[in-house]
Amino acid sequence: MKYYTIHHHTRYRYSSEVSESTMEVRMQPRTDRQQRCLNFQLEVWPHAQVLTASDCVQNAIHYFDIPRRHSELLLRAQSLVLVQEGQPLPEGIDSTEWAALEEAAATGVHWDWLSPSEFARPNSLLGDFAEEVEFNRDIDPLSALIRLNDRLHFALEYMPKSTAVDSPIDIALENRRGVCQDFTHIMIALLRRAGIPARYISGYVQQDPQKDEETDLSGASHAWVEAFLPATGWIELDPTNNSRVGDRHIRIAIGRDYADVPPTRGTYKGGSSSELTVGVHISETEDESIPPDLLDNGHWSTREQIEEVSSARLRRDKEQQQQQ
Amino acid sequence: MPNQSENGSENALNLFKSYALDGNTFDEMFQGDGRPRGPYQKLLQSILGVQPSELTQRQQAADLTFLNRGITFTVYGEDSTIERIFPYDILPRIISEQEWHTIESGLRQRIHAINLFLRDVYHEGRILQEGKVPFELIYSSQNYQREMRGVRVANDVYTSIVGTDLVRLPSGAFAVLEDNLRVPSGVSYMLANREVMTQVFPGMFGGYGIQPIGHYGQVLLEQLQALSPKGRDATIVLLTPGIFNSAYFEHTFLARVMGIELVEGADMLVHDGFVYMRTTGGLQRVDVIYRRIDDEFIDPLHFHPDSALGVPGLFNAYRAGNVTLANTIGTGIADDKAVYSFVPEMIRYYLGEDPILQNVETYLCMREDECAYVLDNLDKLVVKAVGESGGYGMLIGPHSTRKEQESFREQIKADPRNYIAQPTLSLSRAPCYINGNVVSRHVDLRPFILYGGEKENTVIVPGGLTRVALREGSLVVNSSQGGGSKDTWVLQHS
Repeated sequence: MKYYTIHHHTRYRYSSEVSESTMEVRMQPRTDRQQRCLNFQLEVWPHAQVLTASDCVQNAIHYFDIPRRHSELLLRAQSLVLVQEGQPLPEGIDSTEWAALEEAAATGVHWDWLSPSEFARPNSLLGDFAEEVEFNRDIDPLSALIRLNDRLHFALEYMPKSTAVDSPIDIALENRRGVCQDFTHIMIALLRRAGIPARYISGYVQQDPQKDEETDLSGASHAWVEAFLPATGWIELDPTNNSRVGDRHIRIAIGRDYADVPPTRGTYKGGSSSELTVGVHISETEDESIPPDLLDNGHWSTREQIEEVSSARLRRDKEQQQQQ
Repeated sequence: MPNQSENGSENALNLFKSYALDGNTFDEMFQGDGRPRGPYQKLLQSILGVQPSELTQRQQAADLTFLNRGITFTVYGEDSTIERIFPYDILPRIISEQEWHTIESGLRQRIHAINLFLRDVYHEGRILQEGKVPFELIYSSQNYQREMRGVRVANDVYTSIVGTDLVRLPSGAFAVLEDNLRVPSGVSYMLANREVMTQVFPGMFGGYGIQPIGHYGQVLLEQLQALSPKGRDATIVLLTPGIFNSAYFEHTFLARVMGIELVEGADMLVHDGFVYMRTTGGLQRVDVIYRRIDDEFIDPLHFHPDSALGVPGLFNAYRAGNVTLANTIGTGIADDKAVYSFVPEMIRYYLGEDPILQNVETYLCMREDECAYVLDNLDKLVVKAVGESGGYGMLIGPHSTRKEQESFREQIKADPRNYIAQPTLSLSRAPCYINGNVVSRHVDLRPFILYGGEKENTVIVPGGLTRVALREGSLVVNSSQGGGSKDTWVLQHS
């Protein structure tokens, strides 16, 4: 059992003033399976009233709007999450599981997770790739899944910024490199093609301090695959890291692919371009070292103001509680 | 054709010299033996009683009125769009009270079942689990909106403003050709036709006992008010895509009749979860939106990201219950032309009743055996793309060329889910006054239904829009394809 504190800061800077920003945020970790979100706060600067909703698969949505003019938009999300180690997988299952999958598909309950979606759709390269990594029905589906996770990891090179957020899987398949999103989309497309329900999990991963990987701050944002087998239920697999998902992965949202669950989605009025900066810090809560500022230098004043506003609001809330 | 024994001059009878009657088509005015049907007797007398030149003058007066009032529609072409007046035929289409009673009760039943279906599909999905309607058909529909799953809809009214197309079969029975459950148009033409008729034939109305339709706007307003907890105090707006939309005339017309604001997306904004319109006096809260914008354009944040027509954040305000949309989002799954074939099943499933109005026999190309039949009989059937409307994406077998048939064959094979086929129907024919003669042309009927949540509080103004295929022999009544319209009378009980 582990507790994590996650700070997720996002900044949009606009080249000239904009107005009527409307934004929808998916940053609150889910409470499901072996994970509990114990606390979540989202602060927005310029100040806006943040409202909540949940979408059709119970991801938490926060939304707000800023009608007045502004040239910068700052989001500071903080969550406290409890994560437990998942159940171990069965040693092996037999190949009749393929038939069980077909029966499950015939009920329609997994329609969303079996149909091609915007970023996870079959293309001409995918069939060849499936042959190359020997993803087929020769072995039972669980072994096939684990083997695919392994082979996909070695078939593609992980390279930050090698693809864009809206790249189709063709680019990663062609160049044999990509980011976690590409590993995930390719694996989802392959699984659905073989009749295994699969979905996209956006979340965070705590870097293993033993492995001396580059510690780029936004690297803590991650994506992986969840696949369904009737014998096991949903199983999480991380093809980017060739691992199963344990207590270092924190789930934020479930989607058919990235298009369903971007951390932020918004519109604004004004003809200017925007520059996005993201910083994520994740720590086990025993560890008290919360970083000063994740974006860059020079924003202390802004940060201070937000804290002032929020602590004032907190005081007010407390006072009201006492009065009641 | 009227018998010589009917009165009237030789001259007047000459009017009917080109009037075609045949046994395979139901004629609205004449029985098989040439005698007029009951509801038309009086009209026939009137036609025979006036000089042909007078009919021509009145037709011209009517055309002029349409032009002066700007009652137009837009035809979208590949390169250009053209604005046209809606061709109008001065001879009314007449329906007896008894016939209307069947139509009215049949439509109430049907639209109630469709609303129950929509609620079910976006919540428990019982009808899909039980296999009464194949889930593939619903989930693969372009109009299925998964974001609507579990969303609470005011009064469970999913589609409150409906226009259902009926045709009359050779037997004389009315059958449903399609339901328009998203943003049906045409009601302004129904109202305009009646207004023009009263102007052009002012003396004619007293003697016939025609049921009034002029209260449509008031009923529509009341139904929209009933969708808001604020009732009569609700602020209601009509959301239009703007002046380039083919039905813009209708949007302005209905907003004026109801006395509500006509707005475009840019006139509104969402703030702290509520919808406001910008007025000269500042922001004003909006409670109900009668939207004439398609689902995918209504909120760029949720649906089509490039849409400049909608209101960003509207869906979140809707989901929070802070604004009502009429019709709601995702109703198009039920007027998909393949799902249409399951409406009789829905009526039996949800209401335990037999359908009062029949469907037209429909072949689903998604079923292999039916698809094979369709491909073998392309020259006989009418093939339709399931998501299209307005007569686009359609092949009329008997009137098509080899080349058109081959093109459809390829399209069907590539995407069978997207096509259905129906037998080529011989729509009923009604008298029209064209170039100085009374001739018979194919017609359909689109009644306008205002659903209030139950069969009992569903209002259908008596009549609807009768569309006419003005070209001789043509079966296509769509205004975009050379159709016109005529006033539709439902007679009072006599």
